[in-house]
Amino acid sequence: MSGFHGSILPATKREKMASRAVQLSFVVALGGLWYFATNHWGVNPLLLPKPQLVFVELADILRSGEFWPDLVLTLSELGAAFAISLSLGLIIGFLVSLSPALVKVFEPLIAAVYAVPIILFLPLYVLFFGLGAPSKIALGATISFFPIVLNTIAGFISVEKVYVTAARSMGASPTMLVRYVLVPGAFPVILTGLRMGFTVALFSIIGSETIASLAGLGHRIVHLAEAMEMARMFAYIVFVIGIAATLNQLVSWLEKKGTSWR
Amino acid sequence: MSMQNQTVDQVAVSIHGVAHHFGESGDAKHVKALQETTMDIYRGELLALIGPSGCGKSTLLNVIGGLLNPAQGHVDVCGKRVDGPMPHEIAYVFQENALFPWNTIIENIRLGMLFQGVAKSEHEDRAQQSLKAVGLMEFANHYPGQLSGGMRQRAALARALSLDTPVLLMDEPFGALDEQTRMVLGEDLSVLLSRTRKTIIFVTHSLGEAVFLADRVAVFSARPGRIKQVINVDEAHPRKPSFMTAEKFTRLRNELYDLLHDEIRKTVDLGSRGGGF
Amino acid sequence: MAMTGPRPILSFMQKHPRWSQLLTLGLFFLAWEIAARFFVDKMFLSPPSRVYGEIGRVFGTKGVPDALWLTLFELSIAFAISVVIGLVIGLSVGLGTFARRSFMPIILLLYGIPQITILPLFILYFGIGAPSKIAFGVTHGMFPIILTIVAGVQNLKPVLMTSARSMGASRWHILRYVIFPHMIPSFFAGLRLGMTGVLLGVLLAELYVSTAGIGHFTSMFTQSFDPTRLLGLISVLAVMAIALNEMVRRAETHFSRWKS
Repeated sequence: MSGFHGSILPATKREKMASRAVQLSFVVALGGLWYFATNHWGVNPLLLPKPQLVFVELADILRSGEFWPDLVLTLSELGAAFAISLSLGLIIGFLVSLSPALVKVFEPLIAAVYAVPIILFLPLYVLFFGLGAPSKIALGATISFFPIVLNTIAGFISVEKVYVTAARSMGASPTMLVRYVLVPGAFPVILTGLRMGFTVALFSIIGSETIASLAGLGHRIVHLAEAMEMARMFAYIVFVIGIAATLNQLVSWLEKKGTSWR
Repeated sequence: MSMQNQTVDQVAVSIHGVAHHFGESGDAKHVKALQETTMDIYRGELLALIGPSGCGKSTLLNVIGGLLNPAQGHVDVCGKRVDGPMPHEIAYVFQENALFPWNTIIENIRLGMLFQGVAKSEHEDRAQQSLKAVGLMEFANHYPGQLSGGMRQRAALARALSLDTPVLLMDEPFGALDEQTRMVLGEDLSVLLSRTRKTIIFVTHSLGEAVFLADRVAVFSARPGRIKQVINVDEAHPRKPSFMTAEKFTRLRNELYDLLHDEIRKTVDLGSRGGGF
Repeated sequence: MAMTGPRPILSFMQKHPRWSQLLTLGLFFLAWEIAARFFVDKMFLSPPSRVYGEIGRVFGTKGVPDALWLTLFELSIAFAISVVIGLVIGLSVGLGTFARRSFMPIILLLYGIPQITILPLFILYFGIGAPSKIAFGVTHGMFPIILTIVAGVQNLKPVLMTSARSMGASRWHILRYVIFPHMIPSFFAGLRLGMTGVLLGVLLAELYVSTAGIGHFTSMFTQSFDPTRLLGLISVLAVMAIALNEMVRRAETHFSRWKS
């Protein structure tokens, strides 16, 4: 009978432990399956390398520091792309939010363009900028521009009119209004946009390195795949997933810090 | 109607030593919600349950309706032991709008009868009748989202009426409505009751509503709740709006206020100590 | 906020947002036309008049129509599979409190992985043909569907369940008349997000494989500095994507009428 109310009550300790156990056994089962498939059941090592070999390769990659040039390149592309989309997104978003008319015209327009898979721009950017870093930066900047600009607009127009009225009634100048009311009011939503923009920029830079490039982490994985060095390729995949998870964690942490007053 | 000379077979709902708590005892979240309660509610009677927030009146209602298993004691409805929902004996009107938003009003009413197991051939007639009873005939094909809060509660009442149960449980049915709408709905409900003679148990926060609608008012103490006193209203249904300005109404309302005042004080003070004003 | 200078423009925008949007698009194409004609090397950029005037040349390129049809086929199959998987996993995880608490963290973890890193694996396992692209589309499309369905099941108001139960609804009744209709809007919202994911996954895989399909032609047009046909092909794909998105979006609005 209490089962129906169960879904809205917080989990008891025992239920939480049981969930953890299920999660743990899922991961262990997956790892075990991988281990036995490759070590005992004769799965072709050209399709799936042994987990212990992947581990050895990963240790070698980390020890040798071989990853540094690729990592530095990928991160600089990310930094450049994000810097561009951040400044353009914030400025254009703020300007559009200044008038309801501009919002009415441009917000749907930007949202409509965002509905097109922007990855289609990649061949174009490769034509314009070649296979090097600039085409990656351009794609990363384009993709991450959209969530940033849309959230900036949404953030500014979500600031409640009563705060603006209150500040005006106390004699705030337009600059003060922006500095003390609009920016802090819009900040949480903008921050969400920045986090989303950062994530898609990271993914699209690795993606464009995978599809068409000469260097970078994404390219490294493709290179190893073409050379059929499966264990090392898996090790790089794990490495890149680790880097991506760390960066995302960092950005989420920054977002939480930035909105701690909420 | 005078309640003193009722006999046992006229009892519709019988509460035997019901007590309830939430969470395991010894746990930090353990809350004693309701102390041992015993009471009989008679056929055709309207009983109002009133008390401070968290006094267990809604808990008691849910136990009667079979939506909650009490930790202790049991309830009989129409001579049957309650151990789950009893769709043929008990219909519910909830405080929140509990109409299915994806169905029109008439579809909502039909769905209730489908759940309850009424023969399809009867659906249309009974649906129309209950819509008529609450005056919502023109709105049969509207979605709940298109109606005002007051109309939604009328529709919820129509759905409950269409189930044709001897007992109706109402959990602050007008709680989310504004004062004017509450008054009008209260009057309508009184008229409706005088016609249907259902047994109704009604949870409310409003002193005026309790006195205006109820035959008896059970006043709860602060948590852990118990019935502190039962007050007889002794006024025939349907009650006219003029009853609200009668001297008797004011006297009963004040009596309730005195009984409740200390209890409410207790919960508010408790709350402010915890919340840190 | 007060802006004194461009008042007339703003009031025109306020009154005619549609026209203003069309004008903006017109200005964009005009700027593109001028830039391509007078400022940019024609090895890199073609004016829109030429790109769309000679769109027939794109379709006339041997293999392009087949590649486009194949892409559309991959998109449809990947979408259909994503919907089925998303629905099955979403419902089985979403309907049970325990299942949700146990498996949602795993699903979220998997969803957070940059899947592009494993794209080369898909090609290794499934080859350069349609299966790898469909598979990659599915892994992109199913997660948003799962997540919206789980969220949709979760945010059902408890009082609706309670009230159905109080009226004697059986488990089947509750599934059929309460949970199912409640889920319809989030199901369609999931379809929309799933379509976005499928488009991304399939197009990523198509562009990655440069020896066959769309990717072959984009590389060919890029390497032969043929911006006219490259822009034409990209535009055709963009139109395909917009049409698919729009179809799902229309279905969503249609089936969520009661929400208003």
